[in-house]
Amino acid sequence: MTGPKDPPAPVTPGKPAVLTPPRAAGQTPPRHAGAVPGDGSTDAQIRRAGKQLIFTAYGALRAVKLYPVENSAVQKALAEVTLHSKELIGTEGELELKMSGEFIFINQTRLRLDLDNFASFSHLLALFRAAGVGSVTITADVAPKDWLIFLSLLQAPATDDPAERLTELTAKLEAAGVRTFTLAPPTEPGDGSVEKAKERAKRTYTQSVAATRELMASVRMGGSPNIKKIKRVVQGIVDQILNEETSLIGLTTIRDYDEYTFTHSVNVCIFSVALGKRLGLGKIHLYDLGMAALFHDIGKSRVPQAILNKSGGLTDDEWRLIASHPWLGVLALFQVRGVQELPYRSMIVAHEHHMKSDLTGYPRPIRERQISMFSKIVAVADAFDAATSRRAYQTVPFTPAQVMLEMRDNPRRGMDPVIVKAFINLTGIYPVGTLVVLDTFELGIVHAVNPIPDMLSRPLIRVVSDPSGNVVHPGNLADLAERNAEGVFLRTIIKTENPDRYGIRIGDYFV
Amino acid sequence: MTSPPPIAREPTNAPEAQEPPFSPAPIEELLRSIGKAARAHQMYLPNNPVYRGAIDALRAAFKPIWEETDEVTLTIAEGEIRWYDTVVAGDAAAQKASDNLAWLFYKDGVREISFSKGFEEIEVVVLLDIIQRTRKGGATEDDLVAMLWEADLVYMKYKYVDLLQDGGGGELADGTIVKPAAPGDVERGARKAVEESRASSIVNMSEFDSTLYFLDEREIDYLQLEIKREYQQDLRVNLVAVLLDIFEAQPDPDLRAEIIEDLHSLMVHLLTAGHFRGVATLLRESQAALQRAPDVTPEQRKKLIELPETLSGPDALSQLLQALDETPSLPPNEELAELFDQLQPTALATVFQWLPRIQTERLRPILENAAGRLAGANTAELVRLVQVADRDVSSEAIRRAGALKAQAAVLALSRILFEPDVERRLLSVQALMEIGSPGALQLLEKAIEDSDRDVRVTAVRGLTLRMHRPALARLEAIVKGKAIRDADRTEKMAFFEGYGALCGDTGVNQLDAILNGKGFLGRREDAEIRACAAMALGRVSTPKAIQALRKASVEKDIVVRNAVSRALRGSAPGMP
Repeated sequence: MTGPKDPPAPVTPGKPAVLTPPRAAGQTPPRHAGAVPGDGSTDAQIRRAGKQLIFTAYGALRAVKLYPVENSAVQKALAEVTLHSKELIGTEGELELKMSGEFIFINQTRLRLDLDNFASFSHLLALFRAAGVGSVTITADVAPKDWLIFLSLLQAPATDDPAERLTELTAKLEAAGVRTFTLAPPTEPGDGSVEKAKERAKRTYTQSVAATRELMASVRMGGSPNIKKIKRVVQGIVDQILNEETSLIGLTTIRDYDEYTFTHSVNVCIFSVALGKRLGLGKIHLYDLGMAALFHDIGKSRVPQAILNKSGGLTDDEWRLIASHPWLGVLALFQVRGVQELPYRSMIVAHEHHMKSDLTGYPRPIRERQISMFSKIVAVADAFDAATSRRAYQTVPFTPAQVMLEMRDNPRRGMDPVIVKAFINLTGIYPVGTLVVLDTFELGIVHAVNPIPDMLSRPLIRVVSDPSGNVVHPGNLADLAERNAEGVFLRTIIKTENPDRYGIRIGDYFV
Repeated sequence: MTSPPPIAREPTNAPEAQEPPFSPAPIEELLRSIGKAARAHQMYLPNNPVYRGAIDALRAAFKPIWEETDEVTLTIAEGEIRWYDTVVAGDAAAQKASDNLAWLFYKDGVREISFSKGFEEIEVVVLLDIIQRTRKGGATEDDLVAMLWEADLVYMKYKYVDLLQDGGGGELADGTIVKPAAPGDVERGARKAVEESRASSIVNMSEFDSTLYFLDEREIDYLQLEIKREYQQDLRVNLVAVLLDIFEAQPDPDLRAEIIEDLHSLMVHLLTAGHFRGVATLLRESQAALQRAPDVTPEQRKKLIELPETLSGPDALSQLLQALDETPSLPPNEELAELFDQLQPTALATVFQWLPRIQTERLRPILENAAGRLAGANTAELVRLVQVADRDVSSEAIRRAGALKAQAAVLALSRILFEPDVERRLLSVQALMEIGSPGALQLLEKAIEDSDRDVRVTAVRGLTLRMHRPALARLEAIVKGKAIRDADRTEKMAFFEGYGALCGDTGVNQLDAILNGKGFLGRREDAEIRACAAMALGRVSTPKAIQALRKASVEKDIVVRNAVSRALRGSAPGMP
């Protein structure tokens, strides 16, 4: 028996969308055989066992990919994954792996994503997504041979679109006599969920910009802004990033010259939260990071607007004023209301976000200090967004790829190399919003990082011009990992380009 | 400008009323139980039986529901809560008060809540806590939705309308101005790029090696450590360092004034949060900044010096000590010591006032140490406190003056010797005795004639201990005098021993006469006096004194004979 009105598709930013995969109307929540009703510890057991299953499945995937079938490493890995799946079925009565957004559910219990498991989670998720698999049900008589066939098929080169791949995969499993795996498509495909996600992302983004504008205006006027709204928008950004980050990251490509300070703060917040997620931070930590990121430039609201908007070169005094924004931010944050205690972490990040790893940069600390991890994350996000944006004193922005390479290769930038690496892992070698020239003479805009982990250089792109140079809008999505029948990639990036040169406004393709 | 639709709409009702699958009675009971438990949560501590009873009843109220379903979803309206179109709590006309559960949820935008099996175990208490915080929270504090989000409950879901946001915040558009390019230009540009790249092998294949961007074990370990460090760092102490760095680097007077104001406000925050290490750092580092910062104006100096003064003031320090004495979780000793190290001389009076009142065993020695340090370093303040009207403060100051052998306090102590309060005179004598300077001992000489017996005894013992020979004449007069004969045995003994310790052979005749001499009609002195004389001779311990003692060794009076024996034993070679 279930509640009166099962939630429809998860359209709210509240829990339903985040924690539980949608359940069809009228569907009764399953009672797990062997589970003690109401026993909270059962969840913990499932999480533990589920995590173990994912680890061993990941290990088996790698073993199958690297070694011949008869290799003992493969046999051992298959035996382990079989054992863990049987154990779960033994205690739970059933075993269903379900993929929803960035989460994996085992029998409707969400597995916790953290730093020590994100690589295996993300690899499996990507494979399932690429194969069009939303859920896998495994029966009790599963054998190592079944796992071997399933994992081998899952890793086979992707030549079709996900929906076709699922059909193909199901047929191949059947042909191989594997009856212990039942595959199903994602529960929300093709029902406009992508559009809904985009709508949610747009709403979150615009609300965030509006709240940031209001906050900074209030600080500029010397008021004591209430940050209740800011908290809510950061919570929204965290929810969005945890569920479906692509849409929100896409919106960071929007460049509104007049709103730069506000959109920049929101973009840095989005990048930081997404990067934090990639680094394995939990929800509440992401919230802390998001708050700090959104506030990182609050000190600019105490710098005269005439200087912020000055297009020509800055005098030494003007530069000094600009460079004072990190510590002015600390003082500005003493003004905010609506917090149980002072926003310490945000203050530290505001102060440190222009300090380099070797403590050069600005401001120069007098007392001994170790730059905070959050400051390093925000510094990378800030540098990336600032350099790729058109601003008063930067009329020609750098391309995302240029910035990425500079951050990676130039140690004088003082970025933490591991965080830069993780950032590239997040955004792909060609970050979202990059205009690329393809070997087909088409132009494309990077839409999202490829979900297949080793395809970072082959993102999903939106083709925005045909080979004859006709610019199209909105253009079609293309997966650069797609190959033809001979296994040759259909499209390959030749180079990145400045969109101005082609009269293309990137943001238009994300709104 | 158009506004995007709100995040969640008011739940649209089903076209026709739905029949509940089972009786609403258990749901009604559950909501009543939540209301009762919320009140209990607000009024009682968790170990209170009433509270425990309410929580148990609430948990029990879930049981009949879980026998019917695994999840229950409730719709929140302005004054009522519905389940399957049946009102299960409140009514539409109900008051918009915070004790109305429906209104409490509704006013913050919550429109639907669902509980799943397992909620009653742990999360139910979290919800009660959130309800309480919402009820008590002011307009600027987090609302229910923000708190539910932070609580990250697994067994409770909710839907809400976002009342904080004004619609969608406006349209989203890229404001970049670009000049459209002709198709021919686009084609030429693309072809040129492709040809150039083919010609020059511009593409660096190493950029395409995705595995370069996967984090290896070492990097993951590094990140884990960094995350740990992020959450282990002392943000408050860090912020103190930041503010003082800014203070030192920025000479602008307005900015410095603002920073000083922020430091004052930060100190209050830190005290309120019980973060005493932060307070200690703030006070210590602010004084260091004062030394280092260039161009500090007298006003800035005054304000920075005021920081530790503020905490050392009677009001602030009393509050702090009271809070520490009452807290169930006293901070570590080192943290407290670090804080007390920053107290200023002006804190002495308050510390002295609180020392006798402190109930917490662990706090007392730390405060004692602080008092000792402060008093030792600030004798002038200590001397001032000796004379203040507050009896507790003055008495503690007298004790400290003695313990510190503070000669500067002698004059102040002398005044106390003329006060009518015996206890204070006694304290003063004890302090003078510990100080032991010539001036102090002179005062003790006078004190042996005090009207109070304890004061006299203490004074004479002090003089004896210090072997203060100038007091001999006075002691001899007393020993010869009649008044001592009326004193109790202890006093007699103190005076005779004092006399014995100071007189040497010159007093032996006098003592011998008292011990062995006979008066009119062969009458001897009182046995107690003779015993005291014997003890005094024992203190003299010269051959002549021993000879006098031996004369009395066959004494019949048991009191005298015992005293003689003891004196002889005590005066034997090698005896102290």
